[in-house]
Amino acid sequence: MRTFAKYRHAFLVGLQSNIVYRWNFGIRAIFSLFHLAFVFILWGAAYQGKTEIGGFDLSQTLTYFIVILMMQFFIGAFNEDYQISEDIRNGLINQFLLKPINYYVYRFSVFLAARLVSGLLVLVPLFIALPLIKDHIVIPDELWRLTLGLPAMIMAALIQFTIAYIFGLLTFWFLEIQSFIILSLAIETMLGGQIFPLDLMPAWFFRISQWLPYYYQMYFPTAIFTGRLDEASALSGLGIQAFWVVALLGLAQLLWVRGLRRHTAVGG
Amino acid sequence: MKPIDYLRIWLACARYSVVRTMMFRFDFIMWSLVEFFWMAVNILLVAVIYNHTDSIAGWSKYEMLLLVGSSMLVQRFIMGFVWTNLFEMARNIRTGHFDFFLAQPGNPLVMVSTRKLDLDGLVNAVVAVAVIVYALRQLAIVPSLAGVSLYALMIFCGVIIHYSVLLITVSLTFWLGAAQGIEGSYFTLMEFSRLPRQAFKGLTHVIFVWLIPAVVVSNVPADTLIHGFNPLNVLWIVSIALIWLSFAMWVFNRGLRRYASASS
Repeated sequence: MRTFAKYRHAFLVGLQSNIVYRWNFGIRAIFSLFHLAFVFILWGAAYQGKTEIGGFDLSQTLTYFIVILMMQFFIGAFNEDYQISEDIRNGLINQFLLKPINYYVYRFSVFLAARLVSGLLVLVPLFIALPLIKDHIVIPDELWRLTLGLPAMIMAALIQFTIAYIFGLLTFWFLEIQSFIILSLAIETMLGGQIFPLDLMPAWFFRISQWLPYYYQMYFPTAIFTGRLDEASALSGLGIQAFWVVALLGLAQLLWVRGLRRHTAVGG
Repeated sequence: MKPIDYLRIWLACARYSVVRTMMFRFDFIMWSLVEFFWMAVNILLVAVIYNHTDSIAGWSKYEMLLLVGSSMLVQRFIMGFVWTNLFEMARNIRTGHFDFFLAQPGNPLVMVSTRKLDLDGLVNAVVAVAVIVYALRQLAIVPSLAGVSLYALMIFCGVIIHYSVLLITVSLTFWLGAAQGIEGSYFTLMEFSRLPRQAFKGLTHVIFVWLIPAVVVSNVPADTLIHGFNPLNVLWIVSIALIWLSFAMWVFNRGLRRYASASS
């Protein structure tokens, strides 16, 4: 119980510090609406004279991008990798080594707080844009999509955060990790289905992507919620997603232990 | 200072940037890869959509590739020549280090915009040119020397337009101070340069074609290569470049008056 209490406090402090940056998140959310406008214009033009692309109509595709946008703000890793990198570089990590606090759980608690703030903030511009986009929102009403989609979303958050955590830990080996992070972001953005729905790729490429962790970051929960996956695919996907959560947690722990061996704390 | 003096300073800065890049070769390779990968993502988006359709707003696959290539070329030049300088300008305004540029015996805007070169951006300009050449070959278009020169002029105007928009967004730091990340808004707005003009309808046409010069920078050069010389297009892009550059310089100079350095 006491263990839970200390991370609850980390969550609450994280909540307060992220509310301080509400304008930064708010501005980012407003600009993401411009990206949504880009998506609407591009796909609207692509659908001209066509009723479906890849088996989905225009509204289904636009709904996919609206839900992806919400996912980015509710479960996406923003700058957690930088924060962890800074902790290591500045020596702030030393305080966690001296206290009975698990650094991963502490950071994850702060991550949850940050996503709660950014997630709620993205709803504001979406709500304002609702009169313009509501005709294009079509969410299937099957209950299983909710019961399978929510655990998929939670595991997706874990995968997102753990990948960011792993990149942050690379600071133990490399002084400058910004280029790694942005290169990884490009891969995640594409293979996570943020640029286009992955099911529109050639079938062989789509099958390969289903074995990669990126598929389970944004695309998988979004595809469940928006009707791009059937129940059987969702169930088998949850199994692979769980595997990736465990594998990434294992890798993170390994890097943490190996990284600490290289770490040198100076000063008092 | 005479123009030749500015050129000498710029050449010295360019030499320094090359030497610095060669000192951090691994960083250079990584950042080149980063930019290359983002370009590949944009090309892949075109490839994926055209797997399912033949036309986007009347543009065929390779016409669209030409458009995206032109947009990327302008953006690579911006990344190569001015992005780091303007990004650092925002930071320097916030910290007070902008004093350094004001103390130099040249025009502050020129001094601040030409301090560093990013070779990774310039390397990837070659990739953008390769995309354009590939698209032209697929379209069986062989532009004349005059056509290439005209295209180069339009790309130059596109760079001026992007530079102006970026300068305006960064100059807002003079007023907003602590609002970090405002430079990123430039990327959001310029995303629209990868879309064909005909895709914009109603209000979006007014905003992105006429109010914000996002569409003109890529559509006009690509259109010139595909359909040939059109005096109206030339007039359009040159006027937009001049108008936006004048406006950006005005905003920068107004901002400069507000700059009060930082306490020490």
